[in-house]
Amino acid sequence: MPLLKRLRSLFRRKELDAALDEELKFHVEQKMLDYIAAGMSPEAARTAAMRSFGGVEKTREECRDMRGTNLLENFWRDLHYGIRTLFKDRRFALMAIFALALGIGASTVVFSVVYDGLLNPFPYKDAAGITVFQIHNSTDTGTRGRGAFAFSEFLDYRDQNHVFSDVVGTAYTNVLYSTAGGMERLRGSYLTTNTFPFLGVQPLLGRWLTDDDGNPGAPPVFVMSHQLWKEKFGGDPKLLGTPLVLNGASRTLVGIMPPRFKYFGSAVYFPLSMARDSPNAVNEYNRPRWLVAEERLKPGVTYQAVAADIDVIARGLAKSYPDQYPKRFTIHVDSLASDVVGDSKAMLYILLAAVGMLLLIACSNVANLLLARATVREKEIALRASLGASRGRLIRQLLVESFALAIAGGALGCIFAYAGIQLTAAIIPSMLPGEAVVELNRVVLLFAVGVTLLTTLLCGLAPALHSVRGDLSSRLAGTAKGANSSFRHGKLRAALVIVEVALSIVLLASAGLMMRTLYALTHLDLGFNPANVLVMSVEFPDGTYTTVEKKKAFFEQSLSRIQALPGVISAAETISLPPYNSARSDITVPGRTHSEEWDTMFDVCSEDYFKTIGLHLLRGRLLSASDVDSGRFVAVVSQTFARLYLAGQDPLGQKFKFNALDQIAQTPHDAYFEVIGVVADIHNDGLQKAPFPQAYVPYTITAYENRALLIRTAVDPLLLVKSVREQVWAVDRNVALTDAETLTHYLQEFTYSQPEFGLESLGAFAGIGLLLAAIGVFSVMAYTVSLETHEIGIRMALGAQRADILKMVLRKGLALVTGGILIGLATSLAVTRMLSSEIWGVKSTDPLTFSAVVIIVVAVGAAACFLPARRATRVDPLIALRHE
Amino acid sequence: MGKDQLQGALDLLILKMLARGPLHGYGLAQRIQQVSDEALRVEEGSLYPALHRMEQLDWIGAEWKATENGRRAKYYKLTPAGRKQLAREEKAWSRVTGAVAKVLRYA
Repeated sequence: MPLLKRLRSLFRRKELDAALDEELKFHVEQKMLDYIAAGMSPEAARTAAMRSFGGVEKTREECRDMRGTNLLENFWRDLHYGIRTLFKDRRFALMAIFALALGIGASTVVFSVVYDGLLNPFPYKDAAGITVFQIHNSTDTGTRGRGAFAFSEFLDYRDQNHVFSDVVGTAYTNVLYSTAGGMERLRGSYLTTNTFPFLGVQPLLGRWLTDDDGNPGAPPVFVMSHQLWKEKFGGDPKLLGTPLVLNGASRTLVGIMPPRFKYFGSAVYFPLSMARDSPNAVNEYNRPRWLVAEERLKPGVTYQAVAADIDVIARGLAKSYPDQYPKRFTIHVDSLASDVVGDSKAMLYILLAAVGMLLLIACSNVANLLLARATVREKEIALRASLGASRGRLIRQLLVESFALAIAGGALGCIFAYAGIQLTAAIIPSMLPGEAVVELNRVVLLFAVGVTLLTTLLCGLAPALHSVRGDLSSRLAGTAKGANSSFRHGKLRAALVIVEVALSIVLLASAGLMMRTLYALTHLDLGFNPANVLVMSVEFPDGTYTTVEKKKAFFEQSLSRIQALPGVISAAETISLPPYNSARSDITVPGRTHSEEWDTMFDVCSEDYFKTIGLHLLRGRLLSASDVDSGRFVAVVSQTFARLYLAGQDPLGQKFKFNALDQIAQTPHDAYFEVIGVVADIHNDGLQKAPFPQAYVPYTITAYENRALLIRTAVDPLLLVKSVREQVWAVDRNVALTDAETLTHYLQEFTYSQPEFGLESLGAFAGIGLLLAAIGVFSVMAYTVSLETHEIGIRMALGAQRADILKMVLRKGLALVTGGILIGLATSLAVTRMLSSEIWGVKSTDPLTFSAVVIIVVAVGAAACFLPARRATRVDPLIALRHE
Repeated sequence: MGKDQLQGALDLLILKMLARGPLHGYGLAQRIQQVSDEALRVEEGSLYPALHRMEQLDWIGAEWKATENGRRAKYYKLTPAGRKQLAREEKAWSRVTGAVAKVLRYA
């Protein structure tokens, strides 16, 4: 229909209506004239003409409909009418709006986390087209693999592939920067010089790094992050163009990036030439520099095509770099966002599913309330139908009413969402990319509007269809109560309540399993005592402390100074941060043959390490000061190490070799370590995995790699950071101490924060769901009692006791709850299996959790039935019977 | 025949009648009745919505004019679009009736 005409009709409504009336009147008059001409009296002719025309009002309405504007006009009229009737029934309306607001608000919060964190977290140009590929070892579980490549290997992939429009590489580097307060370490990245155009983010000030900056002989320059600029340099724009001494060499600052540019979380960016003979191809240890690669797909290329193309290149490269490729491997391709969020994706999807259930509960709740209202309004609807409203018209009107509810619920839901997003952004663990900004933005608001419209249909359609079913006019005759259709309403309402209870069981069970997981994790015996331990990384300037003697001298002096500080119990050197050990090697034990690789974690530490983290000696002895002093090839091993690799013989006195040491120039080759002691296992491979074999050797066997300090304190460890720094700087001002944190903080961040977040979110959803289900049970029971007042009156007149009535009503209510529980349990058993990636230390069918959930739901259900049941016992038989 | 086709038949009748010249709603109903030898009686409840729909579709135009006895009435007439629509509907109609006739003859 031509839109213009339709719009014109909308504004000329009065005029058109008058014309229509005149046209129809003309028709009747003509007919009347014909009848008179045929010999009827004028009176009889008028009656006959009117009768033969049929329903004038109906015809008029249908003609109006043909204008195509009636829809809109009716909508406003219906909305007006709907709001008026809702206002009359305020208690109902508020309850419905509140339920919807909770559902819409919660789903909007979760959507914002998923959208801003996983779907669109990056400020980079066409970020959805950025991919990451990894060499996945087929014998490993999961899909992850190696995504970092040696410099020349990186260039091979870049040159040989046919699927990427560009490939960029990033190499982490520690940057030491001397300030008035002492040496500080900054996170730095070498970026291949094509990176800035690849990411397409314009600098806030100055320029980005270009190919020319990577050329040999180009003046050394760097780009700074917004955060560093603000925090360390007070956001001074004059800093641009000035040189800073970084890693002992002067570099000119040429650009400052905007706040959301947090590529690889670095504070400073250096250019990295992609020439094969570039001096930056090796790092400060003269080892190949490793680049983390990111790629942009050529248009139309699929992930499968990438995997196939890269696979061919990788098979070729596996021959040139045999150490770096597993025997059997596959290529895994993923989007950048998906790769960064990694294992936390499962948690996000679980929350999305959970909040979907919550929304369903809210919708069932409102549908339930609408059905109850529809029953009360049967007569009104029948009256409107008999006055000429078509079924479609009635359904539309009822839908507009639920639309009005949904709009109000949506508006309130957005307010809830705003608050919820603030709260979530504050408690969300570091599982999202650093660039992500979780906020109530345009897309998220659009989502909220979409959900609001969806809820209108979800909760409005069934009741609307239901109330116009059957013979509408016959309802005018009967009483609303006890009519056949109310019985059907009753069944539908019962079904909705059962669904609500079932869904809240699923949510409660999921939250319960998360709670058990968190409990299991926090009550796990780590094998060491993490309380009151301060951790600090030690960063040496390039080219210094390259010999064992120098490192030993540094640590001997530093450790004895630190140990002398008040509040310090003991201090040690280490290279690892329990429960996450970094160094790993396969070993050779003379006289033992085995087909699989024998792997162990190992730590190079000082003699006080065991005392500092609280490790128990089981056999033999610990590392002594003299072992460390002379860098003896002795080792203390863990229980698991002894059981797996030294079985059948006394472990003490046996010897073994770390094969990894043979491959590093700076470490002793062919060095066999004698086992001098066995200590208890500690969780060294994360909390969720069984302890891995572990060995401890004196840190004085090599000068290789950076080190860390562990300090056990008698006071709050963070209070000592400053004095520890002073002591270390008293030994050497050019050494930086970074990442100062407590061991418990790291445990919290890496291990507890995700299950905690899961528990908090799922717990909140489960709580809201349970509340809504309780309201559902309550409203159905209250309604049932009001329907059965008559029956209850008769029973009481016939001598039933209050207790009997109470029992009768409770039985009915609990039948609903039980139905919901049974369905909910069956569903939960199927659904909680999907939680398996997030739960630990408890089975997804944990009987304790499930019984607790059932007890809670029965208790809440019984409470929700109790009020209506008590009202039933207060029925006065005389009044109830007179009621008819 | 479904509801759509019945409605299509009414549209066809109206368009056909108006092809001979402008008519008001009452005249249109009378004319259809006469031409069909009283066999087809068009209900007012269907006629007027159909006229208003076709007016919106621009198949027919309307004009208020005086009748022979001086009364103002809304006269409908065919537009060029309506003429095309009439040709289309006539073709469709003869296809359907032809098919039905064939079935009746050979079944």
